[in-house]
Amino acid sequence: MKRLSFICIFFISLNLISGQEIDNDLLQIKKRMDSIKSFNANIELDVDISFINMPTKYGKVRYKWGESTKVTSDDFIMLPKRGLDLTLNEIFRHPFITVNRGEEYHKDVLCKVINIIPTSSKANFSIATLFMDVGAKRIMKSEISSKTEGVFTTYLGYQNYMDALPVAIEVQFTVNSVKIPLRFLGKETEVDRDVIKQEGSKTGKIFLTLSEIQIVK
Amino acid sequence: MISLIRSEIYKIRKQSKTLYALAAILIIEGFVIVSAYYQGTGIIDLLLANLKDSFEFKGNLLNGNLIIYLILNSLWFHIPLILMIIISGFLTSEYKDRTLETVLLQPVNKLNFILSKYIVSIGFTLLIVLLLAVSTFFVSYWIFGRGDLVVYLDGLNFFESDEAFYRLIYAFISGANSMIFFSVVSLTLAVILKDATKTWIVSAIFLICSNLLLKIDFQNEFLNELFFSKLTDSWQYFFYYKIPYSTIYFKNFMLFGYTLITMIIGIIIFKRRDIQV
Repeated sequence: MKRLSFICIFFISLNLISGQEIDNDLLQIKKRMDSIKSFNANIELDVDISFINMPTKYGKVRYKWGESTKVTSDDFIMLPKRGLDLTLNEIFRHPFITVNRGEEYHKDVLCKVINIIPTSSKANFSIATLFMDVGAKRIMKSEISSKTEGVFTTYLGYQNYMDALPVAIEVQFTVNSVKIPLRFLGKETEVDRDVIKQEGSKTGKIFLTLSEIQIVK
Repeated sequence: MISLIRSEIYKIRKQSKTLYALAAILIIEGFVIVSAYYQGTGIIDLLLANLKDSFEFKGNLLNGNLIIYLILNSLWFHIPLILMIIISGFLTSEYKDRTLETVLLQPVNKLNFILSKYIVSIGFTLLIVLLLAVSTFFVSYWIFGRGDLVVYLDGLNFFESDEAFYRLIYAFISGANSMIFFSVVSLTLAVILKDATKTWIVSAIFLICSNLLLKIDFQNEFLNELFFSKLTDSWQYFFYYKIPYSTIYFKNFMLFGYTLITMIIGIIIFKRRDIQV
């Protein structure tokens, strides 16, 4: 009897979860982002990773509704695998549920915090936390735990209260130190294996600055 | 003196070993280019493997600048070895063929004779490095095009194409000074040993030891900074993200001093030695 009641409770709970609605404020933000049919902008890219020295890179970012954001440059550039999904298309690609986590201040802005939990195994993230500026209808911060690529935390900075697209994006992630092929080593390069082992993974940051943003609605 | 230098240049032009040297340089260059063409992507993939989890890469790192850098690295061993073998041969062949005896029985100043050998050897070294640099830049840019250069030196350093270009040129110039040192050493060894085979062996041992000693920490600041083997790598310093110009100038200046001392030792030994071979 106990087992039967446990199974009943389990299925009722499951039914409640699957019937959970997507947060309305998130839908409002998504609707606002979907109103953007396309946008173009110049992009400036700076990398802050302890073992990488790279000059500021420049390129162009293009987005067309229904397609992923594309960044092009004449130079070699490194882009974070997450954090450029400004229109939330990646999150909305597969079904999910949202869980309200209350409110929290982020950069002096009171944000509504929600968890996004995918209900499809096809989703390439296990959980995401969004900090939403409900009044301005935009995302201020996101933490996405991808299934294979670690955790990406993205901070979005806007020029003014009305802007839908950010002008400054900071993406934080964990990255392992590079493996060095011996043939590639310079003579002065000393590889201290103990230090490398101790260091393990490190936090890296990428700063993206958008300018001359042209939005087509 | 001028006529002696002209005579030495004439000898070099007529000697088949000069052609062998040029051919060896081009063969090394060819090997690096072919291996880079087939294995270059694999090397870069390995280098960036850990970053691929977090990043997407746009652009091509297997480009002319990387190939030039890989060929430039032949300045560690291959190029100085070829130069030492060829340049020591400038004198040992004269001992072997007894032409030295013939020349010095003429009214030729011994100092001017050996000095002209050193001057022409230095000129030949510069010519080889110039040939290597020009052909490398030309072929690499022609086949692989231009692009950012990635080098692992105290971290992963990325240089934009234009910056990579001037860093590579400066590295070749600085590397030429190191090559002159090895060339002068080989000629001095030829003065001391006279025999071609012995000179080749000792030159090769000298080069290998020099490369090994470069990596050894002597636990002594004076030796670590001033010992000759620690000065032959100045060209590699152009690939630190912030170029340590003072270190490069110091190393080149000191190495030039070693070159002069080695040359003076060779001249003194040659002058004091009996003409008989």
